[in-house]
Amino acid sequence: MEFTKLFTQTEVERVHEASLEILENVGMLVRNEKALDIFAKNGCQVDMETMMVKFPRQVVEKARQTFVPSYTFTAQDPKFDVTMPGDRPIVVTGSSAPNIIDPKTGEERRATSSDIANIAYLINELPGFDVFSISTLADDAPEGQFSMSRFYPALKNCKKPVRSNTPNMDDLKTVLELGALIAGSEEAYRQRPFINHHYCPVVSPLTFDVESTEAVIYLIEQGLPVYGTIVPNAGMTSPLSLMGTLTLGNAEFLGLATLIQMIRPGAPMIYAVLSTVADMRTGAYAPGAIETGMMQMAHTEMARFYNVPSGGYIGLTNAHSNDAQSGYETGMNTTGALLAGADLFNMGGLLGSLMAFDFGKAVIDNEIALMLKRMKKGYEYSEENLCLDLIAKIGPGGSYMDTDHTMKNMRSIAVLPKVATREMRRRWEDQGKPDAHSRAMKEANKILSKPNKSRFTEELDTKVRGHFPGLVAGDVDWSL
Amino acid sequence: MVFQGIMKSIAAGDAEESLALTKRALAQGFSAEVVLEKGLIAGMDRVAEKFRDQRVMVPEVLMASRAMHAGLSLVEPCLKGITKKTTGKIVMGTVAGDLHDIGLSLVKMMVMTTGVQIINLGVDVTPKKFASVVHKEKPHILMMSALLTTTMTVMKDVIDELELLGIRKNLIVIVGGAPVDSGFAKRIGADYYFEDAFEVRTFIEENLSKIVKKSR
Repeated sequence: MEFTKLFTQTEVERVHEASLEILENVGMLVRNEKALDIFAKNGCQVDMETMMVKFPRQVVEKARQTFVPSYTFTAQDPKFDVTMPGDRPIVVTGSSAPNIIDPKTGEERRATSSDIANIAYLINELPGFDVFSISTLADDAPEGQFSMSRFYPALKNCKKPVRSNTPNMDDLKTVLELGALIAGSEEAYRQRPFINHHYCPVVSPLTFDVESTEAVIYLIEQGLPVYGTIVPNAGMTSPLSLMGTLTLGNAEFLGLATLIQMIRPGAPMIYAVLSTVADMRTGAYAPGAIETGMMQMAHTEMARFYNVPSGGYIGLTNAHSNDAQSGYETGMNTTGALLAGADLFNMGGLLGSLMAFDFGKAVIDNEIALMLKRMKKGYEYSEENLCLDLIAKIGPGGSYMDTDHTMKNMRSIAVLPKVATREMRRRWEDQGKPDAHSRAMKEANKILSKPNKSRFTEELDTKVRGHFPGLVAGDVDWSL
Repeated sequence: MVFQGIMKSIAAGDAEESLALTKRALAQGFSAEVVLEKGLIAGMDRVAEKFRDQRVMVPEVLMASRAMHAGLSLVEPCLKGITKKTTGKIVMGTVAGDLHDIGLSLVKMMVMTTGVQIINLGVDVTPKKFASVVHKEKPHILMMSALLTTTMTVMKDVIDELELLGIRKNLIVIVGGAPVDSGFAKRIGADYYFEDAFEVRTFIEENLSKIVKKSR
């Protein structure tokens, strides 16, 4: 499959050059001291007083030489391991929303650790999703267990790679302790690190954060999986032009990538973004806007120039219910990104620009994910697939319904959706005219009403609960 | 009339014009209070009204606010002592771990147009820092914001710190930011939550003098 190109080679190179100019002449404000030291030791001009760092172009170019083209998400169960670019597109849930749409009442409320357990199980079962990025916060977290109340229910109920962030180093280390406990030992965990860390260490414009940067440095030093997302917002934290925001975001990616490669040359990375254009009528954040998809496409083209996997939070929506807006915003933006060759889609389950998880939305996004994967699989060009012999055999006027060829392909050639209806109208009316959301909720209910076979064993659970006293229950608790 | 001119210059976001016309109004003998009320604040009110009807966009409001401030800088020193005392004081900042201050800056720009005194501590402000500034400056209002869902909980730490030092009582605590809502505000013991900078401005406009009077 050939990917969509928005720019000529000369234009791509100019964006790269312009990014180098920004890093060299404007520089970045680095609020983390360790990062300042690393930059200073590796040839950047660092002003320790003002925390300003300027990147000579050869320093960035040197870092570029050790970029690697692949990135792996490791899972508790090896059959769920996924690697980019080979397994592209990798579909991930959206993460860290404070709220959930209550599946019973349909009202928005704060999310809890039980909700996380339910979501984890659902994502484990939905085939379109490859990685579970912990979708919500846990409002019921006991004092001092902010992160444990998220990672424990997630890891307990989902064997796919789990991804999320932690607010500080203490939480990060506790979560890693949980990982080692599940793996059996620290060594075993390091061989298969199934917790995938994610941060937004760069706050646009051109500023390195304190805590997130600290976490990224630590994880890169430790050889554990981590990547960052670059999040410029045109009109607010970046220029109000697509080119300006692309270039600024690209410079920020290069700044972060340079830091990572200075610490551990060859460390895998993802060129991940959530570049948006603000709605200047109100200043509203608009991740569902079509420009988000356009920005992703352009960043992906830059990522291809650097030969690193690309993606980001793409396919988000501003809609507050699982409605048409939710569908077209997720659908259009992810389609654009896929055609441009993006590898990673942080897209599933969230409404209201990352504010609330919705079970129905997650099920519909699963179906969108399956469609994207179908598109990526593409035409499978081959002589055999031209079917010339078959066409000759059936001839004019016949039917292909009852051929072996059709029998062989009927379950694999088309996506067979569970939510999208293909019923005749009368039948649909007889069923009570269910819309896509209610059909999706029915699917969620079907999955979540069955016991979770992928849950921790009792033995492991006892061990974990013994090690971390006072943990939330972390079990699936579902009824509609 | 000169006030019409000031209002126009604010609507156009023309700081130079606003400054010149404010100067002219004062030279013509209008009192600082009158220039503030009938010129500067009236001009800003009109822009805010247009914004509510989506007839102007955010950058236009910010430019207007800037123009209003140009005039305000001339008027402020002339305001009589008594008016000054009632203007009130606000301390604001984003909480520790959070560098996202676009929302905070918007709030600051909007609230400044009410003439209130603002001490902006900027980003990544620790609970201890908030508390020590509140202790020293004795503001009427404390405003905190967070964008990250992982840092919003720090707001509670700030309130706890204030309680600990016994300086929470006569202080209005206002919280804001994308993941924050009124339920959250209530649970952590904050007094108010507002959805956007304009709601904050309206609240300050309507209640500041009451708050200031009450605290005296």
